[in-house]
Amino acid sequence: MGQQNIPVQVLGIDAGGTMTDTFFVRADGRFVVGKAQSNPGDESLAIYNSSVDALAHWNRKVEDVYPELVTCVYSGTAMLNRILMRKGLKVGLLCNRGFEQIHSMGRALQSYLGYALEDRIHLNTHRYDEPLVPVSRTRGVTERTDVQGSIVIPVREAEVRQATRELVAAESQAIVICFLQSHKNETSEQIARDFVKDELKKLGSPIPVFASVDYYPSRKESHRMNTVILEAYGAEPSRETLKKVSDRFKANGAKFDLRVMATHGGTISWKAKELARTIVSGPIGGVIGAKLLGECLGDENIACSDIGGTSFDVALITKGSFAIKSDPDMARLVLSLPLVAMDSVGAGAGSFVRLDPYSKSIKLGPDSAGYRVGTCWPESGLDTVTVSDCHVVLGYLNPLNFLGGAIKLDVERARQHIKAQIADPLGLSIEDAAAGVIELLDLTLSEYLRANISAKGYNPAEFTCFSYGGAGPVHTYGYTEGVGFKDVVVPAWAAGFSAFGCACADFEYRYDKSVDLGLPENASDAAKAGACKTLQEAWSELATKVIDEFVINGFKPEDVLLIPGYKMQYMGQLNDLEIVSPVTSASKAEDWNKIVDAFELQYTRVYASSARSPELGFSVTGAILRGTVATQKPVLPEDANAGPTPPAAAKLGTRPFYRHKKWVDAVIYKMESLLAGNHIVGPAIIESDSTTFVVPNGFETTIDKHRLFHLKEVK
Amino acid sequence: MSYTNEQVSHLIEGTLDWETVFRMLSMPKDHTRFEQYRDALQTKVTFKDRIVLPLSPHMYIVQTVNAKKWVVKCDCGHEFCDYRENWKLHAVIYVRDTEEAMTEVYPKLMAPDVSWQVYREYYCPTCGVMHDVEAPTPWYPVIHDFEPDIETFYKDWIGLPVPERA
Repeated sequence: MGQQNIPVQVLGIDAGGTMTDTFFVRADGRFVVGKAQSNPGDESLAIYNSSVDALAHWNRKVEDVYPELVTCVYSGTAMLNRILMRKGLKVGLLCNRGFEQIHSMGRALQSYLGYALEDRIHLNTHRYDEPLVPVSRTRGVTERTDVQGSIVIPVREAEVRQATRELVAAESQAIVICFLQSHKNETSEQIARDFVKDELKKLGSPIPVFASVDYYPSRKESHRMNTVILEAYGAEPSRETLKKVSDRFKANGAKFDLRVMATHGGTISWKAKELARTIVSGPIGGVIGAKLLGECLGDENIACSDIGGTSFDVALITKGSFAIKSDPDMARLVLSLPLVAMDSVGAGAGSFVRLDPYSKSIKLGPDSAGYRVGTCWPESGLDTVTVSDCHVVLGYLNPLNFLGGAIKLDVERARQHIKAQIADPLGLSIEDAAAGVIELLDLTLSEYLRANISAKGYNPAEFTCFSYGGAGPVHTYGYTEGVGFKDVVVPAWAAGFSAFGCACADFEYRYDKSVDLGLPENASDAAKAGACKTLQEAWSELATKVIDEFVINGFKPEDVLLIPGYKMQYMGQLNDLEIVSPVTSASKAEDWNKIVDAFELQYTRVYASSARSPELGFSVTGAILRGTVATQKPVLPEDANAGPTPPAAAKLGTRPFYRHKKWVDAVIYKMESLLAGNHIVGPAIIESDSTTFVVPNGFETTIDKHRLFHLKEVK
Repeated sequence: MSYTNEQVSHLIEGTLDWETVFRMLSMPKDHTRFEQYRDALQTKVTFKDRIVLPLSPHMYIVQTVNAKKWVVKCDCGHEFCDYRENWKLHAVIYVRDTEEAMTEVYPKLMAPDVSWQVYREYYCPTCGVMHDVEAPTPWYPVIHDFEPDIETFYKDWIGLPVPERA
């Protein structure tokens, strides 16, 4: 086939907690997915092994392919784990005198972040994690800037110097400075920063200094402090990890510059100044990938659904753009980082299934078996039934081909556990008990999905649902049935979709700064020009930061495309909208009018025209600046239509499959052997190494030229 | 859900890992917990009397070895009284009812005004461990906290035979 001659251009990496996925794309749009066990000690090795696994499909060697690559994007959980396990640097903290305990106390909600509802309302379970910086390495200095940004008490030099010496003596490996209201007026913090640096120089100490104004100048004191501490605490060790990954690529001949998926949906260099924003990246990849596919298919409203072993993540793309949350929580900390908005419910394929001892109702999760699958895997050591056990018993999954046959599942073991724990206490047959569990999960997920769309004021009929994640295609029919989507799409590479999405992301830096501008509807031209001046100052400040980042990677300032944006709301309303600015720079009253018009247009799209309230006046709450440079992205495969009948070679046989109280024989297909245009009517199960796509009776699917399956309910 | 005796004894010692504690808190209670908990406590005390019900971190209702009487006992072995009586009336009592005594435990101006609230501390006469503190108005009688219906608890709640009582 001449496969050796077509260069491999793009590599996406998703280094998860248990598996490291790699996704290679050739210039002709063909792709392969590789999997290897993650290796927290040396991530670069897991990536290498995963690459070997992927490239074996093409009979190619890593040493030959790495030099051909032009783009490589990494996403992983290393940084997150470092924070969760409290394995970061010893950070010293300088704050306002009298506020030394603030970081340790944390925000009350941090005591129950990440909990399921039952535990959130169960106070006994609430718990504060160990603070990233202990009080013993925190020093307060006299300083006060008020809420308007005026300096009430200038910072005391002697105290700053004394505190610096004490923090160094306490063996701090980095010093963070975070003063109250510094997002309004950075002066005091900058002065303190310079004193600290000078004192460190006198002491001959090389430790780095992180002032919040230099990193995340956003309002909300706990958020800002947490974020800067996170940067100091976890970013440098993570940079070491990334450097190791990059070095191994280089050693194998790679010429590309490794990029990392960041929370705002773009990718940044591992050399970037602000690395804390790479803390969560895996799930975001899927949203970016869905956006790119949507652009290809002409769908501008997409419901992204990702179902893995532990959770079900939903994100919405409306009018071609995803929402950004500016004060998310991660690792049980409130942070001020821009994050692609996503909603999550703790129900997945590995969720444990239990009976409530009092009400005898079936309960799913909130905990899950994770990589241990379920009791059907004897080596798991588990004895509590999981959703996967029910799938195995009902014929959804092939017990001999789980993860491509990497582990063998024991159907009888799962049956016995379901019988003892669920079926017998409820007086049901094993099949009906297991089918009940699946129905409950499907109902939970579809209600969640529906609620997520309609609660935001949208109609599911205007949305295309993308379903991916290792376990996604098994459930797609279940959680989309009856919701009424325009189309339901399952990519053939569902299991590697996050890695694919990472490879689709722009090389983009994004910086945010809080601003407080408020203007009435009929403000004078002078006032409008004044507001423009403030906004423009913020943009210019951010532009310097963005360009600096690209310069580190050897780009020239003129290569960078700068995209200014802002956050705006009607004065007094609670939620702001993020707008891409219609003007590249702002100075005149006309610019302000355009800024307002763009906001009102977006407001109309998101809510309704009749909900507009210009009489309240307008507030700009934040300035945003994104900068990108051109990168190579994956091309989608374009296959010739081979007609509706699947080739004989794709048919592997049949398997008994239980649904709606009866066993039927489902036809088994090999996913890789299906061709564009093939049409399959359920009951059918389409298998590949890494995922299983279930098409029960009442459903049909067609594979298109991009290797996307479209699932439909048969009317 | 079930837990090993070792996990339950770590729970009592405060050395059980948080993940397990969290699971215990958020899942429905396991059936054998009370028995395991009581047995783990039994191994910690030096006396031979059988623990019927724990009352506080250092205090139990026990069944005496020979007479099979139910009495309130400190873990040092000091016997307070019959389980139906208020053990506080048999304890050593220290009442903080002056500003001076209050400022021993709280900073000045951060303690209650002793004309409307006092602290009464109850200690074991033998080992001196503090069993309880109550914070009533000065004239209030000694509070009888808790009169457990042990028969109902054993029979109807946890389905265990009620220990013998003389």
